[in-house]
Amino acid sequence: MVEHLTKRFGSGVTAVADLSFSAAPGKVTGFLGPNGAGKTTTLRCLLGLVAQTEGKATIDGVTYREIENPITVVGASLEASGAHPARTARNHLRMIASAAKITDTRVSEVLETVGLTAAADRKVGGYSLGMRQRLALAVALLGDPKVLILDEPANGLDPEGISWLRTFLRHQASKGVSVLVSSHVLSEVQQTVDDVIIIRSGSLVYQGSLHALTEGGPAEVVVRGPNIDQLVLSSEWTSRAVAGGETVITGASIEAVGRAAFEQSLELHELSSKSADLEQLFLGLTAEESPTNQSVNGKGGPE
Amino acid sequence: MIALIRSEFRKVFSTKLLLILSLAALGFMQLQIFLLVFLSPPGFEDINRLMDPAFIKIIIASAGSASVFLLILGIVAMSGEYRNQTITSTFLTTPVRWRVIAAKMVTFAILALAISLILWFIAAITTMLLLGTQDSAPFEWSAAFEILGGTLLGLVLYAILGVAIGSLITSQVAAIIIALVFTFVLEPLISLFFLSVGKWLPGNALNSILQTGSGGPESSASDLLDVPIGVLLLVGYTIVFAIAAAIVTNKRDIT
Repeated sequence: MVEHLTKRFGSGVTAVADLSFSAAPGKVTGFLGPNGAGKTTTLRCLLGLVAQTEGKATIDGVTYREIENPITVVGASLEASGAHPARTARNHLRMIASAAKITDTRVSEVLETVGLTAAADRKVGGYSLGMRQRLALAVALLGDPKVLILDEPANGLDPEGISWLRTFLRHQASKGVSVLVSSHVLSEVQQTVDDVIIIRSGSLVYQGSLHALTEGGPAEVVVRGPNIDQLVLSSEWTSRAVAGGETVITGASIEAVGRAAFEQSLELHELSSKSADLEQLFLGLTAEESPTNQSVNGKGGPE
Repeated sequence: MIALIRSEFRKVFSTKLLLILSLAALGFMQLQIFLLVFLSPPGFEDINRLMDPAFIKIIIASAGSASVFLLILGIVAMSGEYRNQTITSTFLTTPVRWRVIAAKMVTFAILALAISLILWFIAAITTMLLLGTQDSAPFEWSAAFEILGGTLLGLVLYAILGVAIGSLITSQVAAIIIALVFTFVLEPLISLFFLSVGKWLPGNALNSILQTGSGGPESSASDLLDVPIGVLLLVGYTIVFAIAAAIVTNKRDIT
């Protein structure tokens, strides 16, 4: 739950501007926005790592820093949370475990869960980006938390890894764990999330179910046929020809287009409806250029 | 707090930092002892300083030269968490940040105590063996024991100071450079020209505890503060730096 969150960094950069949203318990919520939109800063405020300038960020009504032994309640993996390159994954987990009074047996369990058992006693310095992501997930899981906050967990994963991550997230949700997962690529989380929160330049642009987001988009109908250019369109429709001899009609229902072709005795080889392209919608929502983002990116500073 | 200290010990013993800096401290100490026994500073060629029991005490007090290594140990351990970004998971696990700093200080105080005890013993044995080959006043264990307390206290406080400095200056390179420039350039310069000011600096507070003089050729322990005042001063510096470290760290954004 984030209420009126604002974060201005010392340099005058506003990373998050009066942002409010809530993630429902027991669901997977995608936290989306382009790079530099303020996702990481928002998550770091939520986790008590960055002090917000204004507003509140709470988990189950309390701030992260108020939670006793927090990693047993909220598990987090953040982008810039490294491990000492000379330390092994097992030792990295063991040092965190001991601070939170978690047993070494649990360390072995989470290594198994993320598939790092074989590499557990190798130095993290030699890990691939994907293995580091898995280690970060292992850290998040260590306390067996009921809330998971994951910042760009799909970054650096190969297609197999992304597929594994999807299964992993769904499995966590099926256990009743609430998951907030950030990404700048909608397709990475599209098949996994129940709800989405989309931000741009530190402000909310959409919160709701993924389904509702697609319904909001314009409907399109694809038709294909030998004499399709002779099809007379109703005045509210617009059409454009695309590659492969297809014509895309916007503003019409599939039934109306089918009837029109039938009444005009035109031969059809294809008549299909095209749901609004999520990626296009997402880009449309987040596309606007923002000078704030540019300056944050330019400095290589926090998102 | 016990859990946090255990975690800190696991951090230390899962890297080679402690081993490397301890060996460096040992090597530096042994070099200093050899130089003090076998070489006389310019202007002192005619005097056999080894006949002076006070000078023998200064030789044994070479164990105190490990102070800078323990300072760096503390700095690297703390600023290294920022450098390797382990600070994120550390503060996620323990959001009450002063407790992390306190646990690290306790951990490195314990380590410094062990290291300084070992170094003091090796320094005493080395001095005893080397003096046996020279025309000198006899080696007395009582002299070694007189500086034991000061060596332990001084080095422990320096390790704690290192942790505090590593929290205040999180850029590891900057923290080490500033500490070294202060220790080896600024402090000696100030002490050389304005000892009345210089004797109140941490390095000379340590020297007063070790009873070794400020290091200049004509210096003696009597130029410095009395031992109890030196102890109070160094403890005071450590407390001030520790509190500043806790306050600054608590307000810091971890990005």
